[in-house]
Amino acid sequence: MTPDFLGSFLISGLFDVVMVIGLALLLHLQLGLARIANFGVVGFWGLGMYTFGVLYVQVDWPFGEPFQFLVCAAAATLVAGLAGLLIGWLIGDLDTDGVLVGTLGFATAVQILATTQDDLTGGARGMGGLDFPYDIGRVKDNEFLWLAITAAVVVAVLFYAWRVHRSPYGRLLIAVGGNEPLARSLGKSTFRTKLWLFAVTAAAMGLLGAMNGVMAHYLDVGNIGVGVTLAAMVGLVLGGTARVWGAVVGVILTVGLFDIVIQSYLPLPKEWYTQAIPVLREAAFGAVLILVLLFRPLGLLGDMRRDKLMGKIHGR
Amino acid sequence: MVADVVDAVALTRPRIRVQGAVKSFSGRVVVDVDDLVLGDRPIEGLIGPNGAGKTTLMRMIMHSTPLDRGRISLLPAGGGDVVLSSLPAHGMARRGVVKSNQVIMDFDKLTIWDSLLLAVAEARYEQPHRIFGERTLFARHADEIRHYLDYFGFADPTAFAMSAGEKKLLDIVRCLLLRPTFLLLDEPTAGLPDELTEKVMRVVRDLAASGTSVVIVEHDLNVIWNLCDEVLFMAEGKVILRGDPPSIRANGTVVEKYLGEGHV
Amino acid sequence: MDLDFITQSLVIGLTENAPLVLAAIGFALLYKLTGLINVAYSETITLGSYFGMWLNTTYGLDFYTILIPTGLLAGVFSVATYLAIFRPAKRRNVGALEMIIISFGLSIFLRHSLQFVFGYPQRYYDVPPPDTIMILGVGVTSFRLLALVGVAVLSLLLWLFIQRTSYGLQIRALASDENLARVSGIRPLVVTVLIWFIAGVAGGLAGAFYGVGSSVSPLLGWRQFLLILMVALVGGSWGLGGVILVGVGTSVALAAMALQFDQVLYAQLVLIVVFVVVLKVRGRRLAETTKV
Repeated sequence: MTPDFLGSFLISGLFDVVMVIGLALLLHLQLGLARIANFGVVGFWGLGMYTFGVLYVQVDWPFGEPFQFLVCAAAATLVAGLAGLLIGWLIGDLDTDGVLVGTLGFATAVQILATTQDDLTGGARGMGGLDFPYDIGRVKDNEFLWLAITAAVVVAVLFYAWRVHRSPYGRLLIAVGGNEPLARSLGKSTFRTKLWLFAVTAAAMGLLGAMNGVMAHYLDVGNIGVGVTLAAMVGLVLGGTARVWGAVVGVILTVGLFDIVIQSYLPLPKEWYTQAIPVLREAAFGAVLILVLLFRPLGLLGDMRRDKLMGKIHGR
Repeated sequence: MVADVVDAVALTRPRIRVQGAVKSFSGRVVVDVDDLVLGDRPIEGLIGPNGAGKTTLMRMIMHSTPLDRGRISLLPAGGGDVVLSSLPAHGMARRGVVKSNQVIMDFDKLTIWDSLLLAVAEARYEQPHRIFGERTLFARHADEIRHYLDYFGFADPTAFAMSAGEKKLLDIVRCLLLRPTFLLLDEPTAGLPDELTEKVMRVVRDLAASGTSVVIVEHDLNVIWNLCDEVLFMAEGKVILRGDPPSIRANGTVVEKYLGEGHV
Repeated sequence: MDLDFITQSLVIGLTENAPLVLAAIGFALLYKLTGLINVAYSETITLGSYFGMWLNTTYGLDFYTILIPTGLLAGVFSVATYLAIFRPAKRRNVGALEMIIISFGLSIFLRHSLQFVFGYPQRYYDVPPPDTIMILGVGVTSFRLLALVGVAVLSLLLWLFIQRTSYGLQIRALASDENLARVSGIRPLVVTVLIWFIAGVAGGLAGAFYGVGSSVSPLLGWRQFLLILMVALVGGSWGLGGVILVGVGTSVALAAMALQFDQVLYAQLVLIVVFVVVLKVRGRRLAETTKV
């Protein structure tokens, strides 16, 4: 079923790209539209992944697949959404500095909890036992199907973000991000808006986290560090913070470049892959963030073209 | 009989009551208003020299500037008493109290259409799940918005407001679209060409005639004399004169002393 | 709560976490005087520990000798990041939010470049095992004690510098009103470089103290960043004294909780929650003023 040229590395690389695109799209709604600098993306994603993993492995479910997956994934989404509600409430009336502390603190707290509650989560050792909710043949076939399913979810997120731009809700988000006091003077409840934005986007991040857990088959606290937030952020910033497609373009050029092109196709000595490349990847991402924001802050795709958009939707 | 009707109309105007309101900046008293009721007459004008405290008083009413002392409340047309400082920031517009901005305030990323659709959108359309709500919203409000766009001559509403005058005008139209019951205008015609000033005045007159109370701060005295039913003269933080335009104009010496000869 | 617990928490907290106070002071200096949250400050700390180790192992100098050159090197590095990255960013009118992201990018870049250059194995200072001194019945290494004394002395020097010297006056003037300061003949570039230098020295020294006590790794500074950020943000609103007070309080609380829970991570978790709540409560009061 799976085309033979798709090696396991490639599937894994594509999966990373798809996953980070999903996170970057959600970050676009928070950072690009509402101008909330969420440095804790990995917190919601990791919370979803661990909630899913712990429930999946530790609970003795009376029913089998796919219900076990669906129930655990739903729980993961709900828990992440509630966390989003809480964090949204905490940071909703704070300035950028407070948002940094709140979101970074949250992500750190999630990592701490995952490490210390090791009887539940396996802690620093990690925990296996997560699996696909189906079995259609070879490992590669299962992985490919999961890649396709996750891609479908991310396409749905992309569609949502695309529609948000064309809806009164998106307009409100842009207004809140652009001039919050002015939006309030128009009677808009901006605090509540930011609160529910966070709840919804965090829930989606949690779902993606659960789906990542399935692919990884393993929970590892090392995977829920700041590198995930970095990948989403650099992809979004490079592509264009203000554009829906910015997340897609930017992530392909960063995560795609490293996790697919360099990992799979560049003929480098083997030790490089395990040691040097991952470190260079992060260093490169950091450098890209600096360079883009210094020289082309709106990224490759530039600014929103709302004049064109309004012309298209409403005519003259 | 007519007097009864006039009284009845007066009773159904929303009013704002300022009691013992004081505000100081760096030790200097900028506003000190003992007992003031605004809104009894349809359009009231607030004039005075620079630094008289007019804009600060407006901002105190809107609670953008907190009061050091005192109480400002809204007395809605239907009765009741709402302390304005107790309302959250977005509560003002919900209660129908709207102020235009003296300083240019705009959404840089939003076009003119966006800005006006934003002002007019009801909360139920602005929910995370309403991603297909634009068409319905537009259908409900397009005519109302187009009326203002055509009236004020916005050439291309799919574009962004560029000049200061355009942004000022946009701000005023946003205020109008909010269907205010009490409208505060802070130097609305500053920077506008004469025909647009005329149009703004006409719209304000119509609004006031339909029951909205309007208070307008202005330096352009022609607007004040032509538009206002009553004029308040502020100096050094206090309202020292109040009356209809002819009587204020007649008090020439005071006005002259503060505003210079050419205006009377 | 018995006396032993209190004295242990106090002594251990103050000596073990004295570098935290120093780092928080340096960070808060930058934050209050330039308005910038510099995530890459954690790398100034890390580099301080590397500088110290390099001077110590390459030239065979003892720990006390390398302190001053380490501080100076870190100060120069800090100024270099200002001139290379943050000043150009400011000139391009980069907004506050983007500045934080840039500093985040710089932090990531520096941290992983260090990791690339120095690799994974941990490095150590080559110092003789320090003497243990008994304070209030608790054993403390001489290095830790030096750190505490150093922090106290440096804080005092800094306070005197800012409050009592003409340069300090210029720094304060620039921080409160740049245009006015410029008109008064203060050269913003010189004064700003001075601020970054001092902050760098503080961070570098904190790194040296951290490094000699344990080991030197590229993650040394980043591990402390969240705590430093929280101490500086919460304490900073009460000035230098506030940062010191909150820093000391945090240090003692960390030690106390580590003793109680036998798990350092729990202590961090509690502190995160406490700080976020404090910021939230304070933030509420400020929100009301941002109205049109």
